[in-house]
Amino acid sequence: MMHEPKIIGFLCNWCSYRGADSAGMARLKYPPNIKIIRVPCSGRISPELVLRTFREGADAVMVLGCHIGDCHYSTGNHRTAKRMPVLKKLLEYTGIESERLYINWVSAAEGEKFATVIKDFTEKISALPPFVETMK
Amino acid sequence: MSDRLTSLHEAIEKVLPDLDGVLALKSGPGGIVSPYLFSKEHPEELAKLAIWPKEPVPDTLKIILRAHPDAKLAIVCRGCEERGIVEMFKHAQLGLDNLTLIGLQCEKDEAEFCRCAKPFTVHAKTIVGQPIEGVADPLTEQVSALSQPEKLAFWKQEFEHCIKCYGCRNICPQCFCNICALEDEKWVETGRLPMAKPSMYHLVRAMHMTAKCVACRECEETCPADIPMAVHFRLIARDVKEMFNYETGADMEQKPPQLLVLEEGEYDRTGLPH
Repeated sequence: MMHEPKIIGFLCNWCSYRGADSAGMARLKYPPNIKIIRVPCSGRISPELVLRTFREGADAVMVLGCHIGDCHYSTGNHRTAKRMPVLKKLLEYTGIESERLYINWVSAAEGEKFATVIKDFTEKISALPPFVETMK
Repeated sequence: MSDRLTSLHEAIEKVLPDLDGVLALKSGPGGIVSPYLFSKEHPEELAKLAIWPKEPVPDTLKIILRAHPDAKLAIVCRGCEERGIVEMFKHAQLGLDNLTLIGLQCEKDEAEFCRCAKPFTVHAKTIVGQPIEGVADPLTEQVSALSQPEKLAFWKQEFEHCIKCYGCRNICPQCFCNICALEDEKWVETGRLPMAKPSMYHLVRAMHMTAKCVACRECEETCPADIPMAVHFRLIARDVKEMFNYETGADMEQKPPQLLVLEEGEYDRTGLPH
């Protein structure tokens, strides 16, 4: 059954948030399911934050940051790249679909990539049952 | 069993005169076994030396070393306890300069009780008993073979039993943060049982055990609700080995991966998009 998923996107200030901006500037269309939260760096996103977002009823969480090597704080996104794959595995071991957590890298110039990523991800999550219901 | 006890007795007697104390297990009144600091002033107490059941000795060592940082000590440690000490050293919780490790090798029945993959020590110079191969962990295999909905149902049921006594955190040799995320109301709700789903307590703890868990299973042993949480830790430890080539307690020089930046080739193994 298709539904309107609630997706929370944590976007890094320096690349992905600017990428979302350039998608807006170019008037690219993408689904409105994503609620964007701007963070200083994708390395700011702790596993606790992602898990709490799920607990609060989000269907999926996106973490978008600068490409590896382009981080404004030089190695902030290395932390994301180290902890998020482990968190994905943990979700899988707990029986939660690991695709509910999505990590990708979007630079300030990649407005088009941003729109595509959001569109594809929203479609994928719409096919899954609402997260709150699976937790009942 | 008694052979090992005798040789352990001899090993301790040999080092005891040169040290301030030897930390080992002693059977007390009523046959209750607990960690005890044997000293050279009272060598007769060694008659009450015990080896089983295992108790969290590294934790006791940390407490003693905090009060007496210059004490020259020896510790009787099993494979898991040695790994715990090595990881505590890497996280600057204790120094190894004045510490002698006496490695006690587990026997088959003990290893099976703990479902231990590495029931032997690797760093200790003095060794008591014969090292044996690790045993299989049927529960972890069983849980990881379940389908996704079955896994979810399994863990939901297990976590529902949690009474949030924090026993697993308190006994863990690797839980030494002064400010614990599990006590933060932002992450773990207070005054609510069973916990909201997904259980933040267990998932946050599992994340914090990444590349830290030494598979001693003290948490499972102490849990009043018998939650097999070490299954999570063990599965994650496999991934950490695969992705970051890190094994807890194995290499004294290797730094824990979460303290470092990505190394050559590591990114490809994380499965993240390019």
